[in-house]
Amino acid sequence: MAIKESKGERIFHVINVILMVILMILMIYPFWYVIMYSFSKPELAMSGGAFLKPKGFTLDAYKMVFRNRSILYGLKTSLIVTIGGAGIGTLVSAMTAYPLSKKDMPGRKIFTYLFLFTMFFGGGLVPEYLLLKKLHMLDTYWALFLPGCISVWNILVIKNFYKGIPDSLEESAKIDGASDLTVFFKIILPLSKPILATIALFLAVGFWNDFFGSIVYIFDKDKWSLQAVLREIITNTQEAMTRQGITIRNENSSNVSQKTLTMATIMVTTVPILIVYPFVQKYFVKGTMIGSVKG
Amino acid sequence: MSEVNVLMNKKIVKKKNTSKKIWANICKYKYLYLLILPGFIHLLVFRYATMYGSIIAFKDYNMFKGIFESPWVGFKNFQDLFNTPKFPLVMKNTLIISLLKMIFGFPAPIILALLLNELKNLKFKKVTQTVVYLPHFISWVVFAGIIRAFLNPVDGFINEIIKVFTGGVPYDFLGSKSTFRSLLVVTDIYKGIGWGTIIYMAALAGVDPELYEAATIDGANLFQRMFYITLPSIKPVIMTLFILGLGGILNAGFEQIFLLYNDMVLPVADIIDTYIYRKGIKEAAYSLGAAAGMFKSVIALILVIITNKIANKIGEEGVW
Repeated sequence: MAIKESKGERIFHVINVILMVILMILMIYPFWYVIMYSFSKPELAMSGGAFLKPKGFTLDAYKMVFRNRSILYGLKTSLIVTIGGAGIGTLVSAMTAYPLSKKDMPGRKIFTYLFLFTMFFGGGLVPEYLLLKKLHMLDTYWALFLPGCISVWNILVIKNFYKGIPDSLEESAKIDGASDLTVFFKIILPLSKPILATIALFLAVGFWNDFFGSIVYIFDKDKWSLQAVLREIITNTQEAMTRQGITIRNENSSNVSQKTLTMATIMVTTVPILIVYPFVQKYFVKGTMIGSVKG
Repeated sequence: MSEVNVLMNKKIVKKKNTSKKIWANICKYKYLYLLILPGFIHLLVFRYATMYGSIIAFKDYNMFKGIFESPWVGFKNFQDLFNTPKFPLVMKNTLIISLLKMIFGFPAPIILALLLNELKNLKFKKVTQTVVYLPHFISWVVFAGIIRAFLNPVDGFINEIIKVFTGGVPYDFLGSKSTFRSLLVVTDIYKGIGWGTIIYMAALAGVDPELYEAATIDGANLFQRMFYITLPSIKPVIMTLFILGLGGILNAGFEQIFLLYNDMVLPVADIIDTYIYRKGIKEAAYSLGAAAGMFKSVIALILVIITNKIANKIGEEGVW
């Protein structure tokens, strides 16, 4: 552009960059604080401060986290629920979306409306609880991922993606005698990998972050998800620790306090997300864009 | 398969003359029905069966008799619900918290998207976006832990700052009725502002660059371009999202509030969802809880329909 920027515009650009830097610091600092605190020695950490680096250095809080029965069980539950929910949810959503994308299938409209209606109206928490009770799913891992693993929204997103696959691919396979099943599993699914990966990641993050399902549907606290265990540690520190048999004052405990332990637990809960986040971020953004295109 | 066939059979009766042809069609598409079957069963069991189960809102639910056998009581549960002094308070809190989040939280991503859009260094822009999206992926449980660590009156970081810079006394933000709602709004914006920009950024990317060039040649400065080109081009998206937000006004943020509230702030923080959980699950008042849930669902459905009508009427794209 030939036209020179005015002074005001240049000032704006400088201020804008400064604002963004401040925003980034605001977004990152709390996590930095938690990481540094979790490595600190309690007696030094007690004095407070900004924790730009750890005060002293000890891994004892982490050692205690990984020796803690509740947290290990929580990790197990969270892994089962995340993998089960994301796996089943993605596969079934992909299967459901395919017939719904077929204009010539008799009954397609009825199916579509039945699915769409549930986006706007639902039974609510209490009937769902009673249903799971009736199905004898309370207190099982199923309760944590089966009801929530399929959402109409995801089905619509996948359906939109299928629309972009050229019909000629299916037609030529059909001429060669392939059935709808073969076409779906051999042609459609492999071509849909990008969108299915996105959906699987969306689901996985959702299940990994869920705590409420455990609190409502699971009475045996050994089957609680990691987030639910973390919640108990955060909200009810003393009582939770007694229940979990953690006594801060045992032999090597001088290097662990309630707060450093809480911080270490927060890190263990968050690290899986932090690790995958940079890689999957672009898929998430793409997925949201596809979803926002009206179907 | 048989279930689907029965369903299809019903249809066939309606269109007698072509029934043979339809039956042939169904055979032709049998694998498609097979593919939709698991999702359809899931839909019937976990969506429509729960919808059926919500009729206990009109019954005096008895665990031993079950949903079907429990006696009908008409609107008694709803009368009980509306007569509890708790209920108006809970509705008021839900609406106030939602509206506060709307007023302050809705413009926030728009402003951020506009600012991001003006960044010239693409690499810097990308890094900023990556960082601001992050909180969206962190669970509310973790956030609640961090919020507590920062706001704790004894050794919270924010209270340390207050002590050092103002010499003031530590303040219990989480336990104070006057600050709790502000805290909800601020932390909600913090978690959602980055992710909220995505749709706006997509809309901004679609604005014709020639418009900017032409405006620049005509002497429009950056701020004029923002006001007369950028904002009008993303107005449809803003309107659609605003309407969607209004439709969801009864969702005041259950997880966030559930994790942060306590007895001290209950009068200002108790919302309809937390009330349903405490009554319907914790106190096992199933029928009352279901009535509150149904009340919420019905109002939400009406709101969505109304707001969508409005959207179509004013010429913006609705949800359907």
